[in-house]
Amino acid sequence: MRWIWIDKFVEFHSGERAVAVKNVTLAEEHLHDHFPGFAVMPETLCIEAMAQTAGILVGEAKNFQEKVILAKIKKAVFYHYVKPGDTLILDAKIESIAPEAASTSGKITLGEKLIAEIDLMFSHIDQNLAGKKFPEENFVFTDTFKSLLQGVLVDGAGSSTPESEQN
Amino acid sequence: MKSVDNNIKFSNINKYQKTKKRLEKWFFIFTMAETMKFILIDKIVSLESGKEIKAVKSVSMAEEYLADHFPTFPVLPGVLLLEGLIESASWLVREAENFAHSMILLSEARNVKYKSFLAPGGRIEYTVEARTIEENISSFTGIGVSDNERIVEAKFGLRHFNLADENSGMAAVDAKVIENMKQRWKLLS
Amino acid sequence: MAMSRDEIFGEVQEVLVDALGVDDDEVTAEATLMGDLGAESIDFLDIVFRLEKAFEMKIPREELFPAESLMNNPDFVNNGKLTETGLTELKNKMSYIEIGEFEKDPDINKLGDLFTVNTIVSYIDSKLNAA
Repeated sequence: MRWIWIDKFVEFHSGERAVAVKNVTLAEEHLHDHFPGFAVMPETLCIEAMAQTAGILVGEAKNFQEKVILAKIKKAVFYHYVKPGDTLILDAKIESIAPEAASTSGKITLGEKLIAEIDLMFSHIDQNLAGKKFPEENFVFTDTFKSLLQGVLVDGAGSSTPESEQN
Repeated sequence: MKSVDNNIKFSNINKYQKTKKRLEKWFFIFTMAETMKFILIDKIVSLESGKEIKAVKSVSMAEEYLADHFPTFPVLPGVLLLEGLIESASWLVREAENFAHSMILLSEARNVKYKSFLAPGGRIEYTVEARTIEENISSFTGIGVSDNERIVEAKFGLRHFNLADENSGMAAVDAKVIENMKQRWKLLS
Repeated sequence: MAMSRDEIFGEVQEVLVDALGVDDDEVTAEATLMGDLGAESIDFLDIVFRLEKAFEMKIPREELFPAESLMNNPDFVNNGKLTETGLTELKNKMSYIEIGEFEKDPDINKLGDLFTVNTIVSYIDSKLNAA
């Protein structure tokens, strides 16, 4: 199991908002356990998908200089469950950002249906956990995560659309 | 002649049924062993019916997601700590309602705080207290403690239902899920 | 925008209920954030962000919650108590409240007790009415 819960970004507005896509497939091993006999995407993994969408948005806003870690789930409310074959759209916005932390809001939708509303707080742990030491390098933003931003170009207005959708 | 025939038939049926049972048991063990990919508690250590449950999980370097979370700093992902609390609460519901429902899902989580990290070699004990458990909804507060340090705390609510509630054709699926969860309960409790 | 102290209290109460997951009736004027309401480091940031939105103002976290910088500076702390310089610094930063009681025994473990719901209300009041 690779710990990556989004497949690609379809919109990326640096410092403001990001929209990502996640396809839910029966090839994902954990689905067979949740539940054996009827596969449903665990809500906690939906939260993780949002955390990755929002976390990359926050990390990129500081040029990946900060180690951005999920510190608090302010609220996560689920309206419908998710099944294999579903394609989720994750839409995250930065609400506030400070040297030590950031706060994001987000929605997960499936077509027209609102699946979940998820509001998170991230801590920039080097600025925060006094006394605890962390490895120097930014272990949070691996190449896998950063590669999601490849091909998501930044145009003049600081917002971006994927290469494939530009004329 | 007739009685001899009957005796032979009976012993065949008996043997057939015994073999069938053995095959089912092995099939079950085979499938269960294969699919232990998303269970975030190892053992239930105590349960006060309808009120409180305690469960433990040990973290091993062999857990696959640790390679990505994070390379050089492996720690259990925060959402999986929440999942441990949710699973604990779910068992409290299943036991209290006598496995009436197949689906038990998170409806909301609030003020989930991550206070410290849990690394391989560590062991966490989840304590979940029920605030209310009704027929289709329940609410809980939960904490996870490791080595006298609080790792996670949360307030959350679950919803419980059968697929057949919406679609009566799904009753067999509900039954299968419930059966599987009963088997899992035997392993955990 | 002119707001009465009561109006400010109402907004602050709502912010604390949401940020800390406590009930309305727990958020009394004298309730301490850390002791009574269970607020921690990450919650302080959550509270600051929410107050900024609710009152449409910038709130440097240091201004509202100077405890951490006070406690981490060796000039301000000696033997578990705030020094003279530390006390002056505290008075400057939190000029909108009375710290007479704390001054008598400036034990840093009791610093948290200064941060009550009232403290936040007074801070917001002072900022709104200075503008």
